[in-house]
Amino acid sequence: MNILVLLAGVADSRYPLHEVGLENGLISEAGQSRRILSPFDEGALELALKLRDQRPECRIEVLVLGGSNQDNLLRSVAAYKPDQLRCLQLQPSCPWDAALSSEQIADLLAREHLTPELVLIGREFGDLDEGGLPVMLAARLGLPLFALAQFAEWQDGQLSLLRERGTRQQWHRPQGPLVATVTNDRRNKLRHPLMKNVMMAKKMSFDCVQAPAQRPETVQPVALLPAREVQRGGHCHMLEGDVQAQATALLAYLRKEREA
Amino acid sequence: MSEHRIIAVIPLAWGQDALLATLGAAQRVSAEAGCEHEVILLGDSAESDLVPGAGFSSAARVQLLVHGQLADGENPLALARAAAQALAGQGAQSVLLVPPGAEGEELAAQLAAQLDATLLGRCTQLSWEDDGWVAERSVWGGRRTLSLRLNAALGVACLRLGKADSGGGQLAPEVVELGGSLPLPLELEQTRSEQRLAPVQGAGLVVSGGRGLNEQGFALLEEIAARLDAALAGSLPAVDAGMVPVARQVGISGHFVSADIYLAVGISGTPQHLAGISNETCILAVNKDPAADIFKVANVGVVAEWEQLLPALLEQLPG
Repeated sequence: MNILVLLAGVADSRYPLHEVGLENGLISEAGQSRRILSPFDEGALELALKLRDQRPECRIEVLVLGGSNQDNLLRSVAAYKPDQLRCLQLQPSCPWDAALSSEQIADLLAREHLTPELVLIGREFGDLDEGGLPVMLAARLGLPLFALAQFAEWQDGQLSLLRERGTRQQWHRPQGPLVATVTNDRRNKLRHPLMKNVMMAKKMSFDCVQAPAQRPETVQPVALLPAREVQRGGHCHMLEGDVQAQATALLAYLRKEREA
Repeated sequence: MSEHRIIAVIPLAWGQDALLATLGAAQRVSAEAGCEHEVILLGDSAESDLVPGAGFSSAARVQLLVHGQLADGENPLALARAAAQALAGQGAQSVLLVPPGAEGEELAAQLAAQLDATLLGRCTQLSWEDDGWVAERSVWGGRRTLSLRLNAALGVACLRLGKADSGGGQLAPEVVELGGSLPLPLELEQTRSEQRLAPVQGAGLVVSGGRGLNEQGFALLEEIAARLDAALAGSLPAVDAGMVPVARQVGISGHFVSADIYLAVGISGTPQHLAGISNETCILAVNKDPAADIFKVANVGVVAEWEQLLPALLEQLPG
């Protein structure tokens, strides 16, 4: 089975955001960017690795979205030894425009005659996508979509994908090529790479692949602003006393609110 | 003045919360933009209890698209194809609003793909400025706001601005029976999960934990939730750590809860997490750090170690 994994990376939320702005309608980035794999990226990569663990004939190709800190991001992925790893350069890069980005990726796959049986992609593709790109990519590719997969394995030689909806577990066994978006789950937490592979990845260089497209003017960024303040009540009433007294007061408040 | 409008697209199977949230956004955006809003309901019959509700929202037009394959609302592609039949050839500068949340975001993208429309995605604001729609999106994990101008005839967005008010109207829906077949859903084998507690959607009381807890803390929290007949939830870091299933994640990339009460234990109160809690929800916060941001937005706060407070709560709750 040929598995294509698409990874975007996100700015590491443990650090202040690097300098970002708008320049000629495109995102400009400066300063020290700390782009790392998102939990959704990690889930997608781990599911691919799990499938290859079970069936070594699986071939994993990974495309990592280019941009700030791309070499470090590529190295972190290379340490997992995918069969092919390249940097994906969207030209132009308009990550807020899911239609354009999905068109660029779909055209690239067509141009390179890539026909993966399984496309794994995080449920959100980077810091400026909110889940639109994977859905529109599946539509562009004309492939069915299994959204929010949490686990994948081979069952009796058949690929099986799992997700949970409320109190239901849903298994899907695709009969043909499929796009699956992956969400974070304890079963797809990314493993640690072997140290020797980490060291090897440090010496590697990576090929880039261009995905050009004519830029439509259907949606244009006009401003990049600081985050809006969360507007909420406040005036927190603190419960004092020892733990027993706090627990009693908390339960009393809870019961009063429920009755109201 | 340019002709512009809002069209709410709502699968009836998604329930009253989805209906009211979408109508609420449509009402407020259209009122501020000085335009009409229309409603497209998707379902398998006109008998749903939710159908009359759409007519009360002061919508200029309500259509109910009926097809047998829209019964469970679990096939976004079929929903999008059905809506596309009614939406083809929209002349005005329109924005389609679909229910906020993960399912709505998937439907929005399917609609954009089907209609060759522009996906605006999960917006925090939508306004009409200088004869065009302008949407705001929260980006970089809520650390920046990106303002986007729609230059196309049709956009699709998810937006949460509170529940709908009764607009005083009593518009009866135009029922349109859709012919032909719609895409079949994926074949799924379904079983019950090991979850013993109710899902977070629709729960009146949600008991939630964050990265401040460990597995033992979540076990205590689950027991408290069971005794209070509450739903168990968690923040993204807690889900990442495998302490609570992703189906119970609350926040910008998880579920939105509009519970009466949200008991948050070991949750710092990031904007990304708070984005998943309704403004009307009463937050009770427990955190060992008196400077935690959660206390800035909570109604009631307790500064305590969960290791002491949770057993004390359990002691006082009947088993």
